[in-house]
Amino acid sequence: MTDRISEPLAVGDVVADQTYWITREHLVRYAGASGDFNPIHWNDRVAEAVGLPGVLAHGMLTMALAGRLLTDWTGDPAAVIEYGVRFARPVVVPDDDTGIAVRVAASVTAVRDDGVVALEINVRAGEQKVLTQARALARPPAADGPVESDA
Amino acid sequence: MPIAPSVVGWTYPAQPYEVSREKVREFAEAIGDPNPVYVETSAARERGHTDVVAPPTFAMIPVMRGVDMLMDDLGVEFARVVHVDQRFTYARAIAVGDRLETTTTLDQVRQVAGNDLLTIRSDVRDDRGEGVCESLATLLVRPEDEGEPGD
Repeated sequence: MTDRISEPLAVGDVVADQTYWITREHLVRYAGASGDFNPIHWNDRVAEAVGLPGVLAHGMLTMALAGRLLTDWTGDPAAVIEYGVRFARPVVVPDDDTGIAVRVAASVTAVRDDGVVALEINVRAGEQKVLTQARALARPPAADGPVESDA
Repeated sequence: MPIAPSVVGWTYPAQPYEVSREKVREFAEAIGDPNPVYVETSAARERGHTDVVAPPTFAMIPVMRGVDMLMDDLGVEFARVVHVDQRFTYARAIAVGDRLETTTTLDQVRQVAGNDLLTIRSDVRDDRGEGVCESLATLLVRPEDEGEPGD
């Protein structure tokens, strides 16, 4: 169901832009799925005792959401060759039903001769950048990449 | 007490991790990712995989096995640890049925403003010895005598 026009990708193109919501329920689920039971991700008492502004999202959960943006774009996790982030600011998750919005946008910083695309990923909670130096190398979806005919 | 520089170079024997279908499903659900390649064999096959594959940051699960051992040996509790940055380089996607072997090495220890900054490298291979993924993590460890006790 792709109606993407197969124009070549150019530096500066925003290939994906999405907002994800993180609630306390997500933190509990992520803790169980990942095996990261650090109490600062679910226990207000502990978070406060160690001087944090509140219960924080796992950095790896925020990284996973930004990663999801990449794999939504490529369609295939195997198309992601390299992916790295710096956890610049904590994402404080309130104890309510709404949670906190994390906005993720990926833009092209380079297109290599072999078709691999370098991406810069902008990850914000409100006005704050929560991940910095978020970068990936990925093979673009077929419609965006060079057509490979002879292998 | 800061972490002694003599621990730099510590390497742990490869830790096994077998990737199960249900863990991959649970992880994909926890990050809210509905991509069928994480749950349906047929969808994964359409992408050229032999079976269901895992989201890119699933790699942190086998990686944590070795990191946990290292932290245990250094006497570091997780409430003192802050994940500073994380990078993965993928040779291929992790797939259901993979019997992964992860070798963990403490590459570097630096003291910054009274904290220890650890660079930890994890080499994730399959049971044929083929590289699957490399992880490079920086963890900040706060000194144990600072602040109130966490629990």
